[in-house]
Amino acid sequence: MTQYAGVDEMPESQRQKQKKQTRKHLITMAFNQLAKDGLINTRTADIAKAAGVSHGTVFAHFPTRDALLTEVINEFGARVTRRLHELAGGGSVHEILEAHLKGLAEFEPFYTRLVREGSLLPESARNTLIMIQSAVSFHLSQAAEREMAAGIIRRLPMHLLFNTWIGLVHYYLANGDLFSPGKPVLERYGKELLEHYLTLITE
Amino acid sequence: MMKICIACGMPMENPADFAMGDPDKDFCVHCARQDGTMQSYEEKLDSLANFIVRTQGLDKQAARDAAKGMMAQLPAWKK
Repeated sequence: MTQYAGVDEMPESQRQKQKKQTRKHLITMAFNQLAKDGLINTRTADIAKAAGVSHGTVFAHFPTRDALLTEVINEFGARVTRRLHELAGGGSVHEILEAHLKGLAEFEPFYTRLVREGSLLPESARNTLIMIQSAVSFHLSQAAEREMAAGIIRRLPMHLLFNTWIGLVHYYLANGDLFSPGKPVLERYGKELLEHYLTLITE
Repeated sequence: MMKICIACGMPMENPADFAMGDPDKDFCVHCARQDGTMQSYEEKLDSLANFIVRTQGLDKQAARDAAKGMMAQLPAWKK
């Protein structure tokens, strides 16, 4: 009996392992496809094709398209906030904004989709964007409070300090086709935007 | 090893990031009460919503809704 149970258990755990791998693979391929074709326009059939699985396999792992989209966006949010935290922890305003640009540049195509299509997406996707912004505003506000007290930067309301920066970066990202056709926007303009912004806020 | 705060999602690396500076804790310094216990759902929701209003300028109710949505993803509050 024990022996049979043992034999039986092996393929089961193999199957589970495989299932997990397929799921992970689907999320990765969906991430790339959504960055390429857009969060609204990408079809599950295209994701299946890119992942090299049947269309039905996608729905064996995710009951609906929205469920897959939410999973990909959540996964993305977790990765970006982790990266921002890694890069930005405890630095000056200058260092934090530099880290912010660096973190975004690593995920620019997908992040741009999220910025452009955010208001059309399910609520969970918008919440992820706010979560990413919260990771940035958390580090920025801590550094800004220190530097305002030290007279390094001007005393400005925290939300406007943050939104002025985000507004600038997002405007360039959302119109990347005009600012930097076919090439990453932040690589080309990041330094200029950062220097300009620091000039505005410096006391 | 880096942990993620179960109550707000903040990555915790240094002892100072943890509640009471204790890396064995699963929640961060910002989610702890003064006595070291973890804040309640309502306390955390209030502080998160206020933080979003203060640092990002969102409408109060919109910030509260977003905070609820974010918290629903975290192990401490997941249903």
